[in-house]
Amino acid sequence: MKKNDLTYLIFLSVILAVYYLVLGLNIHSKGYYNHESLFYIEKARIVFQGMGNRLKVIGLTAPILPFYGIMPFIFNYSLAPYIASAIGTAVLFLIIGICTLKTTKDPFYMLVLLALFIFHPGIIYMAGCGKSIYIIIIFFFLFFYNTFRFYYSNTTFHISISSILLVALVFCDYRFIWMTLFFVPLVISISLQSLNLAEKQSIFRLFLSFNNPSLRRKLVNKTFAVYIIIFILPLIAILCYKILNQTHANDFNYFLDNPYATWNVLVNKLESTVTPSTDNYKLPEVSFLTSVRVIIYCPLLVLGGFLLRHNIQHLLTLLIPLALVEFLKIEYPDNFLSQQYYLIFIFMSFMAVLFKSNIVSQSNIYKYAIGACIVVELVTGYSYLNNSFFESEKNFYAIATQPKPDNGLENQSRYDEYIDVAAFINSMPRNSRILVDDANAYPIAAFVKNMQKLTLPYQNIFLSAIENPSTYVDYILVASNSNKVGGYTQLNEKYKAIMQSKNNIMMDRNYESDNWIIYKLREKNPGRN
Amino acid sequence: MSFNNTMYETLPVCEILINDQFITRSNLDEINDFSQRSELSFIKIALTFGYISRKNYERSLINAGYTFADTTVRDEAFDEAVLNKLDLKYVCNFFALPLRIENNQVVTLMADPTDQEFINFVRETYKMEPRIILASDLDICWLSHKLLGENYVKSAVFALRQSDPANSASTTFTTQQLVFLFAGFALTVFFLFYNFIPVSIVLNVVVSSFFLISIVFKLFLALLGSRFEMHQAVTREEVRNVVDDDLPIYTIQLPVYKEDKLIKKLIWNLQSLDYPREKLDIKLLIEEDDSKTLNAVKDLNFPAIFDVVIVPFHMPKTKPKACNYGLYFSRGKYLTIYDAEDIPDTDQLKKVITLFEKLPAHYICIQCALNYFNRNENFLTRMFTLEYSYWFDYMLPGLDTLDIPIPLGGTSNHFKLDKLIELGGWDPFNVTEDADLGLRAYSKGYKVSIVNSTTYEEANNEPFNWIRQRSRWIKGYMQTYLVHMRNPIKLIKKVGIKGFLGFNFFIGATPLTFLIYPVLLFIFFTYVVFDFSFISAIFPNWVLFISIFNLLIGNVLMVYINMMAVFKRRFYELILFSLANPVYWILHSISAYKGLYQLIVNPFFWEKTNHGLSKTSQTNANPTTTL
Repeated sequence: MKKNDLTYLIFLSVILAVYYLVLGLNIHSKGYYNHESLFYIEKARIVFQGMGNRLKVIGLTAPILPFYGIMPFIFNYSLAPYIASAIGTAVLFLIIGICTLKTTKDPFYMLVLLALFIFHPGIIYMAGCGKSIYIIIIFFFLFFYNTFRFYYSNTTFHISISSILLVALVFCDYRFIWMTLFFVPLVISISLQSLNLAEKQSIFRLFLSFNNPSLRRKLVNKTFAVYIIIFILPLIAILCYKILNQTHANDFNYFLDNPYATWNVLVNKLESTVTPSTDNYKLPEVSFLTSVRVIIYCPLLVLGGFLLRHNIQHLLTLLIPLALVEFLKIEYPDNFLSQQYYLIFIFMSFMAVLFKSNIVSQSNIYKYAIGACIVVELVTGYSYLNNSFFESEKNFYAIATQPKPDNGLENQSRYDEYIDVAAFINSMPRNSRILVDDANAYPIAAFVKNMQKLTLPYQNIFLSAIENPSTYVDYILVASNSNKVGGYTQLNEKYKAIMQSKNNIMMDRNYESDNWIIYKLREKNPGRN
Repeated sequence: MSFNNTMYETLPVCEILINDQFITRSNLDEINDFSQRSELSFIKIALTFGYISRKNYERSLINAGYTFADTTVRDEAFDEAVLNKLDLKYVCNFFALPLRIENNQVVTLMADPTDQEFINFVRETYKMEPRIILASDLDICWLSHKLLGENYVKSAVFALRQSDPANSASTTFTTQQLVFLFAGFALTVFFLFYNFIPVSIVLNVVVSSFFLISIVFKLFLALLGSRFEMHQAVTREEVRNVVDDDLPIYTIQLPVYKEDKLIKKLIWNLQSLDYPREKLDIKLLIEEDDSKTLNAVKDLNFPAIFDVVIVPFHMPKTKPKACNYGLYFSRGKYLTIYDAEDIPDTDQLKKVITLFEKLPAHYICIQCALNYFNRNENFLTRMFTLEYSYWFDYMLPGLDTLDIPIPLGGTSNHFKLDKLIELGGWDPFNVTEDADLGLRAYSKGYKVSIVNSTTYEEANNEPFNWIRQRSRWIKGYMQTYLVHMRNPIKLIKKVGIKGFLGFNFFIGATPLTFLIYPVLLFIFFTYVVFDFSFISAIFPNWVLFISIFNLLIGNVLMVYINMMAVFKRRFYELILFSLANPVYWILHSISAYKGLYQLIVNPFFWEKTNHGLSKTSQTNANPTTTL
């Protein structure tokens, strides 16, 4: 790779970053929000503006890497996730660009890459939505890129780097840990390939090695070693992280299941759960059909598979993400697959054709085929985003394509409500304190200007404040009965009833929206001790 | 037994050997030709370049009517005036030694009683006829070095101390270092008394952070090293293109002490080296009091291909002293050191020469990878293999890539002889003279490189032996650290900030981590098992968070680095043993405390490692297989 090429690439990346920033901030200014970014904003504000034991928030907020990813941009909390995703996507372009330049000199690939990054709606969504998709894709791409490089270089370096990248990937999205399952056949194939046998056909190599004790031992040893070298690091990292969760939160799975630790819990409830009503309207993502959806979304994958057909290892590697999404539909049958699980195939297929650039560069037919696939991908990308099962994805498309935001969007009105509640809290007297449970109220807390006003669960006084609110706070934010995620908090209408009956407290309704109520506390008999 | 002049004027020894068919006429021509080119005597070439075994030589001469003096010859009286006219190197070349004047004759020990050149030398030097006592070359060698080697051995011990006292470990702690250490200790104790908990927390965090940084840096180095694992510094093609006639003389030093069991193996290993025999200058360095090894050499019933050098007794009795002594008798352009049990890759010397020719002139040393042939013998050998694989295959190439001083391994480091002498040789007071030399070379502007060739050694398979060896290494690291940190500013100026940090992380941090490890482990287990409140006090939540992170991530990363290394070596069966590293480190800690104790009470004591304990066949090493 020439120095000049790198300079141009960096220049292009900067231009892209600006393009994504303008786009993302524009959409944000039109009122686009999502739970994930609001969750990170709230946690970042706790870390930098909160008072009390913030260690748990720093260490156990999950997924941890996307959370840390917004940290460099906290000079503006509300924009930090959007800046992070815009710059992160540009960095992704830079990384893929560097890999491309290292692999091939054919400018065709750079054009394809540029076209994808400028026009593909999924990538634009990744850059502008403020979610952590960019970081997932970065580590996903690098993981598979290094795995492919391992096939060619056969160095421990690439396989170890792959392993480290897999750790990073898992700490961006825990579900990728399931990928380890689908590496079993691949690892056997790698080991089989490394055996010194005259036979070329994999199936016969397998037969020979199973029937010869010495070869069998070698095969088992190597398979085991490769598997260990790739997966021990992620598995132990997860184990360590679980121990850390246990020591600090008394729950091994705190980072997975607890709404204080991760946004997934609420989003699963609010956005991605398959409900009977959606089933009636949309083609469901069910096993088998998921693969069809993926291929329609990314036809380049088929061409990639065709190009890699002669090498069983490469082909199996290409199929691993497909197996993963199929598995996810089985493991999490109630959840839809969000955009990143489709986007990975765009990059996977690009990687496949990139590694076969020597064949592609020699034939214009392949180039036309790739071009055609890219055009189809752009179209299906728009279609998939527009018809997404996720409100946040669909809203992004809607807001991005409409000159003025449609306030009628269901999901968006919910964010307006969060903003309104936060605005009310912001308008409270300077020294007033309000008890908030950010298990479900983090979107509100994210909009509150002064975090010192809030008494939140990360603080030691929170439990005391719940038991004896009048001593610690002036207001309580309570989830109303109609709140879909009211069950995640103790601060709901039941709590209000208990407090009023047990304690000497009167709770006056100060503010009310569809899902939230703010009560002002007042003692029934001020004279009594 | 002495002979009159008529006897040695009869049939030359070479003819006797030909008559007895121990050598052929063509062998004789070769020897004479080689003798003319090298100025070595016939007997020297015949006995030390693999033409005839000592047993056969003795047998042949006895058949011819000669009688060999027994070992009491070493107690023969000598005359200082006679010895003063002799040069050790000269007499060693002829395996002959004039001892005293008796009855107007020079009583002379000779291994070849018919060597006219030496007989003429005696006549011309002393103006008398020699009275020859036929003795074994080894006895003569022993006596020559004992009687004439004093100046050499003194120089071997004190040369560096005199020429470069700042780099000599003869002083373990300087006054400034003692003041610094005690002042630091006193201040820490004072602050602990003054405000125990905050100071403990600070110490805790400093130690934890140090551990983590050290481990992450090691991972970084390992990755860097692994990146170039397929890079061949010298290819097979390049080795094939080496022209034997153009090769220079190569000195191989073999410092041994009580290695009688390994002598035969040693010869087999050396014979497999792909290098012209007459261009090898192999020195077997035997201590004066090591009669076991000397007798083993004497009893060999096949030709030896090494020259025995007896190292006269002088304290400290260390390997570097022996090597320094051997330098005075080395003839090579390049020099390397092997241990008695080493099995170098057969093409190693050629690879090194090829690489030296490719590298700029300021590269004066090339380190080969070390590994073990008996890796599957027991738990200890497996762990040792893991450790060495990681050290030599990843860490050293990583350091090399970053241009950080490389702590040389104990053997298989190949030097340019003139540069080695310029550096002052090894420090005889330092028990890890190799690590010290690496840094000394770097600080003088020289560089060390790595070559893709491996020497297989015998891994220590016995725990107490292992601890002895390791305690010496760790003590040596402490010595080296103390020597070079006498003036840190000067060190930074010499090796740069990168070199300084590298030195601190590798030489300095290694003993420190092993010393701290059991303390932290103890605190951790006490905390987990007993949950003492005072431990909780010095581990507030955030410190606990950092500490647990360090404990887990640190251990995992170290385990993983070890896994990577054996993966690269294709020792797949060892991969799971990496998980046992935390246990293995306890052994390191025991050795570290032993080393620390010795550093204070007996800094120059050389803890001897017993070799030859392995029951594993060395053929498993596959020495021809290179990386």
